[in-house]
Amino acid sequence: MTSKTVASSVYDWVDERLGLSELAAFARHKTVPVHSQSFWYYWGGISLFLFIVQCFTGVLLLVYYRPGADAYESVRQITFVMNFGWLIRSAHAWAASLMIFSILVHMFSVYFMKAYRKPRELGWLSGMALLGVASVFGFSGYLLPMDELSYFATKVGLQIPSAIPGIGEAIANMLRGGPDVSDFTVQRFFALHVVVLPAIFVPLLGFHLWLVQRYGNAAPPSEEAKPASERKTMPFLPNFLRKDLAMWLISLNILALLASVFPWSLGKPFDPLAPAPVGIHPEWYFMSPFEMLKLLGVVLQGEAGEIAGILLFTLGIVLWILIPFYDRGKEFGQRARAAHYFGLLAVFALLATTVIGYWTIR
Amino acid sequence: MNYPFWDIPILGSGWVIGIIAIFHVMISQFAVGGGLYLPLAERKAMRMPEGPLRDAWLTQLAVYSKFFLILTAVFGTVSGVGIWFAIGLTHPEATSTLIHNFVFGWAMEWVFFLVELTTIAVYYTTWGKIDPKLHLKVGWVYAGASAFTLIIINGILTFMLTPGDTWLAVAGTGHEASKFWYAFFNPTYWPSLFLRTCVCCALAGIWALITASRIDGDKQPELKTSLVKWSVKWLVPSFVATPFILIWYLWMVPASQRALLSLGIDTIGSGTFSVITRIALLIIITSATIVGVAYFLAYRNPRDFNLSHAIALLLLALMATGAGEYSREMLRKPYVIGRWMFSNGVRVPYVARINQEGYLAHSMWVWNDYDESHAKHLEILVSPEQERQWSSYASQPSYSRGEAIFRGECGSCHTLNGYRPLAKLLAGRDQANIRSFISMLHDYKPDSPYRRFMPPMVGTKQDIDDLTNFLNAQVNPPTPAAQKPMQTAQK
Repeated sequence: MTSKTVASSVYDWVDERLGLSELAAFARHKTVPVHSQSFWYYWGGISLFLFIVQCFTGVLLLVYYRPGADAYESVRQITFVMNFGWLIRSAHAWAASLMIFSILVHMFSVYFMKAYRKPRELGWLSGMALLGVASVFGFSGYLLPMDELSYFATKVGLQIPSAIPGIGEAIANMLRGGPDVSDFTVQRFFALHVVVLPAIFVPLLGFHLWLVQRYGNAAPPSEEAKPASERKTMPFLPNFLRKDLAMWLISLNILALLASVFPWSLGKPFDPLAPAPVGIHPEWYFMSPFEMLKLLGVVLQGEAGEIAGILLFTLGIVLWILIPFYDRGKEFGQRARAAHYFGLLAVFALLATTVIGYWTIR
Repeated sequence: MNYPFWDIPILGSGWVIGIIAIFHVMISQFAVGGGLYLPLAERKAMRMPEGPLRDAWLTQLAVYSKFFLILTAVFGTVSGVGIWFAIGLTHPEATSTLIHNFVFGWAMEWVFFLVELTTIAVYYTTWGKIDPKLHLKVGWVYAGASAFTLIIINGILTFMLTPGDTWLAVAGTGHEASKFWYAFFNPTYWPSLFLRTCVCCALAGIWALITASRIDGDKQPELKTSLVKWSVKWLVPSFVATPFILIWYLWMVPASQRALLSLGIDTIGSGTFSVITRIALLIIITSATIVGVAYFLAYRNPRDFNLSHAIALLLLALMATGAGEYSREMLRKPYVIGRWMFSNGVRVPYVARINQEGYLAHSMWVWNDYDESHAKHLEILVSPEQERQWSSYASQPSYSRGEAIFRGECGSCHTLNGYRPLAKLLAGRDQANIRSFISMLHDYKPDSPYRRFMPPMVGTKQDIDDLTNFLNAQVNPPTPAAQKPMQTAQK
């Protein structure tokens, strides 16, 4: 028997039981719209790829990482003793940032292409939930090395949940395992980071991808307005997938470049009694909410002001999440201006507060 | 020492050469590979049956040769001259040694270079104006001339890494040029030539894909498909042969220097010279990606291959070239000319003498250190007027002896606050600690880990003290700046 016939008989055996041919036939009919904005379709795939990188590098780090009192020492060994430990850790840290970045790009492209409209509302909602979980991933992972910077940044970062009126302090205490960031916090964040969050993230991601498969890529309103004969598409298999994979490859290179040229180093071990070093700030993706809350605190003074600020901030996020339900765009091709301007405002606010945040660190 | 120091803050002198050189290598190796690509492509077109495809190929090649002419004859030439300026200013000692050995090498290269420039201009302007067969011949002359520029410069570049025992035996005797051919065909000459030839072919394919990507695949599907596919094939020899040639190349490099590649496997600790491993890893990943992108996006999907894909390929090639050239340069550490001249310009056999006489004893450019004995020592005829002028400079030093030693001995690789910053690398050390570190570099014991990538610190005890004082003033400024307001977690 030649290898070809072996392969085909194995395929037949599996196909008979799992129905691969049906899947393949389904995939062959799937198409992706081709237009001037097609570039933005790749960002969901890039986010997915970076998540896979996170799983892979995360499991490798798990082999040597020891939570609790040993946390710092184990990360020191990974970075300065293990062969290529620095590479895995740097790739994990950089891919985390890149993943949040690509999810944000993906979110805004979906927003401006109005891809959240019927029937894709659940895709938008699950995507928002994924962004939320991803940012908690980032926040919990940042503390794990327990160096000076991660310790103080976590302390600052926990100001966000503790600012929630009433229950905020209780939530922050629960996360910290006490009134201060300590070894207990590392243990909790570790459990969150490697068990709880993946358990939430993976099924959500499955649901999100299933929806994408079910409804396909949405074309922007300008494309929808064109007569069917003028719209171009390309088959998902193999054309789009090939390009998607090329994007993954390019992302991998950017990741390798960052991890090699700017490897993540490790600061001094944390010392709760030492004063915080100058310029402590949250990771870049938390800079904007952190700064927004700070600015609202300046504008709206006093306790009532603080509550009003939190409410305003929450209202903005709720409005953002619920966009599919009030921007339904009954007529295709009609650009819902209000939603569009709201989107532009969000991009501007995000960028401006991030810039102000970094500007005022010192 | 015999030349003034060109101090480049933040960036460091190495990067002045590096930036120009990476840019130059990208273009000049394209000039060599493209030199082969053009006549071969023209020959292929001429052998096609008469028809629209043949005409389209020839038209496209004429367009391509214009792009080629502008890129290589303008940017390649200018950046090449830029390298001369840069190396002469940043590393005069090494440049001087190279010129003394290879002046005829460069003269030969210059001849081929002139032929190259002339023929490419003729080649471009005579499309359709002379007999096609003659035109093709012009292309072949260009290919030959440009190949020879590589064949020659490769000897000089590889000499710096592995000058070879025969040349080293006469080094410093004044008869170095008598061993020209030994120095030229040094141990890494052949692997490097094959390696660079492969890279040239790959670059020819990648640059050709830039122009091919701009053909409209819907309007001229046949032209685009055939040209893209043919151009991708230029990457094949490179990616089949490169791994083997690279092993051969590394085999010819002295083991002590080859070992530099493994310094960063287990650590990224500062001062451990781990960067070379990390950069070398980039060559592997970018090269592998180029193969993947070229195969999947170009070869399998030629009609949809667009300019942004081609630019992605080019950027990857730039990364690979940059990483490759950087690694090659780093592999030479602690020398600039293997086993003969340290990377800060100190010749290996001169170390003992400088340790006795002092590092600045022969530096006529450091005015504050001037005294009559130096002029005598250097056997320079100094007029009384000049001497008065020099003495007057000496009374107004523009910088300290310590700074002069820093610029001379450390400045080739380090800056104070920018690239490889000494202020950061020495941070946390007090004066005594800095002094013991410098003394350790001075003693250069066989088991010192720094021996693997750093030259010794040469000079007298006074020199060590001067350098210590200068560096200490940078690392631990005497009057600390006002403390910045602390931002604590509470607010």
